[in-house]
Amino acid sequence: MTSRRDFLKVTGAAGTGLVLGLHLEAKPTPGEAARAEFKPNAFLALRPDGTVRITVSKTEMGQGVRTALPMALAEELDLDWSRIEVVNALPGPDFKSMQTGGSTSVSSTWNPLRKAGAAARQMLVAAAAAQWKVSLDQCRTEKGFVLGPSGQKLGYGDLAEAAAKLPVPKDPPLKKASEYRLLGGRMPRFDGPAIVTGKAIFGIDVRRPGQRFAAVLRCPVPGGQPKAWDDNKAKATPGVKAVVKVPTGLAVVADSTWAAFKGREALAASTTWDEGPGKDFSSVALEAKMRAALTGPADEARKEGDVDKALAVAARLIEAEYSFPYQAHATVEPMNATVHLQTDGAEMWTGSQSPNKAQTTAAAALGLKPDQMKLNVALIGGGFGRRLGTDFSTEAAELAKAAGGGPVQIVWDREDDFRHDLFHPATLHRMRAGLDASGGLSAWAHRIAGPSILRSWLGGQKSPGQASAEANGALDIPYAIPALQVDFAEVEAPTPLGWWRGIEIVPNVFARECFLDEVAHASGKDPLQLRLDLLGHQGIVKFGRDEADIRRLKKVLQVAAEKAGWGRKLAAGRGLGLACHAYDGRTYAAEVAEVSVQKGQLRVHKITCAVDCGFVVNPSGLEAQVEGGIAFGLSALFTQITWDRGRTVQTGFQDFPLVRLADMPVIETHIVPSAEAPSGMGEPPVPLAIPAVLNAVFAATGKRIRRVPLVSDSLK
Amino acid sequence: MPSFQLTVNGRVRTVDADADTPLLWILRDTLGLTGTKFGCGQGVCGSCTVHLDGQAVKSCQTSLKEAAGHAVMTVEGLSKDGSHPVQRAWLAEDVAQCGYCQPGMIMSAAALLRHKPHPSDRDIDEAFADHVCRCGTYPRIRKAVKRAAGGVK
Ligand code: FES
Ligand code: FES
Repeated sequence: MTSRRDFLKVTGAAGTGLVLGLHLEAKPTPGEAARAEFKPNAFLALRPDGTVRITVSKTEMGQGVRTALPMALAEELDLDWSRIEVVNALPGPDFKSMQTGGSTSVSSTWNPLRKAGAAARQMLVAAAAAQWKVSLDQCRTEKGFVLGPSGQKLGYGDLAEAAAKLPVPKDPPLKKASEYRLLGGRMPRFDGPAIVTGKAIFGIDVRRPGQRFAAVLRCPVPGGQPKAWDDNKAKATPGVKAVVKVPTGLAVVADSTWAAFKGREALAASTTWDEGPGKDFSSVALEAKMRAALTGPADEARKEGDVDKALAVAARLIEAEYSFPYQAHATVEPMNATVHLQTDGAEMWTGSQSPNKAQTTAAAALGLKPDQMKLNVALIGGGFGRRLGTDFSTEAAELAKAAGGGPVQIVWDREDDFRHDLFHPATLHRMRAGLDASGGLSAWAHRIAGPSILRSWLGGQKSPGQASAEANGALDIPYAIPALQVDFAEVEAPTPLGWWRGIEIVPNVFARECFLDEVAHASGKDPLQLRLDLLGHQGIVKFGRDEADIRRLKKVLQVAAEKAGWGRKLAAGRGLGLACHAYDGRTYAAEVAEVSVQKGQLRVHKITCAVDCGFVVNPSGLEAQVEGGIAFGLSALFTQITWDRGRTVQTGFQDFPLVRLADMPVIETHIVPSAEAPSGMGEPPVPLAIPAVLNAVFAATGKRIRRVPLVSDSLK
Repeated sequence: MPSFQLTVNGRVRTVDADADTPLLWILRDTLGLTGTKFGCGQGVCGSCTVHLDGQAVKSCQTSLKEAAGHAVMTVEGLSKDGSHPVQRAWLAEDVAQCGYCQPGMIMSAAALLRHKPHPSDRDIDEAFADHVCRCGTYPRIRKAVKRAAGGVK
């Protein structure tokens, strides 16, 4: 799906040590570009003092890239882990594609980073061998040193200058997995010590000399504009310096965040709004439109056989409607960005998952060339796709222009964050299945109705890939069914939309895996057995742009079921439920949930997850992704964003009941060993949590929940 | 503007600001102690947790006036070098993901263990009831608190 050209180049200069840059270009296929542009870069500098700087071109947002990516490079180069420094890349000519999303950070940089390490190692060995007048194969490397045949020993730092003069090997041999010393071991987060001491600097922690702070008063309806306002009271608020108009609203600039918030409060009281075209939008009206679209025309995402005919002749027809709401990212660090406008350019500090886009859009807003905008990528207090957007960074650039003067930091408060998210949209799902006379599944139709994330992301354009993007998770249903149809009926909504951890796969796999559970019960089959039967003896299966190895999926399903004790006798009111998916054909995961329902109260006791994501770079990091992904997926069973009069009803954590520590089930992760190249783990665990839990709820109570969020009344 | 005195991480500080300014912003914007985080400003996420005379409090819900004359401790003051038992347990369990909620979690853990050196699971549930970790580090938080149990003076 992605073609890549990778080449290495040396940019060493005498006295500065060996600097080995690594340049990769990848051309994404159309439609894929928005979510997953696979264009990583990495950068390595060995200093004469033996310390090593590794530049990471993917944004750290808790998924551990500042640990996993350096591990790949350090392994091949045999570095001393305690002597590395990790810095974030600056977007620009060396790093043209830093986008971080789609669970691709490790998979897209794995080979290039290892090759960069191996090439540098070979050059250091060659430099040492020349100095000692021995052959290459008489030398070996260990923890930052080259060792010679008769006890010679030279640090990489001492060899850096000589090595930099040597040609870069084109295709350096890589270590065998059995030779790994770092890779595959449990490596704690590189930033751990800075985090636990409060020294880690997130975007919101940036402090520049003379920095001012700003809050923007935005229309509660996305897209609305201030009509009239009186800024006298705001300006009279202690600490407030100025009130300026920016494209997103009215900015209050002050000498502290609190003063900016107070000034904004005063300004809000005197501001009237032109609420714009979205002012009448409501979740109730949207749902009626989506329901109508469940039977109207739609764009086809996948079609095999004649579904209408197969459903018409089926011995038994099963039908159901599933519903999933709008969701918010709710990162704990609210959006923020700091911009310093200078005479010949500008500098920005922000946590961005799209640093290149943030740089170019901010530069454009300021009338600058991209290379005049230096963008420093800060640590991110939660991304989950929200920070793929550039709305907040561009806003900060606009403010710097309007406010003039020294550095200024915009801080969103929690309500800003909820009201002006790039939301995950609601969907309705019409599910139909046909059973033949012997109870076999003969037909499957999945209609999805809702707003298109991709269209919103592309600025209102409908792309040819729209139906397949919105049907991700539904069109790649892995089960062999003779007649199958998946389509998407778009329903317009005036809300800004974006990518949210797990994307469309979350609602689509929820509907798919819960409805399959209904089919199992309707046909009198065990849900595990039905899945195993439908996966059958399929090998590699192609779904649109992806292909999946069904055998790997079958294996994780079996492992999860076995480890969870599928089929064992449970107490009354307890149940097990399962779900599985081949994520983008790259990561295979299955989850089994164990729940109990007592007096209408749901308790999720345990989720057992089996994964095959190829070679596991860092098991501690992988398990963290499973735990975090399940927490994210489970939260979505209880949270929702609803709309009334064009604005979100929810404005903070108090009405967005995310899973807390006491609600968290025990998570057990089982890694199915694999020699395949590593794939992603950020998203794959997320979509399975809801269907596994709701299928377990059915097993426990006989109640089929088809609507998210789960309201506790529905279990009474 | 009125003047207030408070002790922050063992140092006496004099701050000129409105009496109702939340302690959170005094720490972050006036004193430059950015380890204490802003997550909601509404008392429902726990990111801003600090110690006030040894008790865990939400600094976004504590005014400067309330903090004046008292001893405030932030994550920066927990130890000089990350050697506080809770910090060490946090590293040993590799708890942090994005890390943003973690200073608040660590401060709540330290306060809990000071008052209850060997907390039960229920005690841990209660101590973190007002904390949000969107990254879902909860299983490791529980493990780290148990690992640090008994070691906090
Ligand atoms: S910022 Fe104080 S509780 Fe959220
Ligand atoms: S570690 Fe990211 S919010 Fe807790």
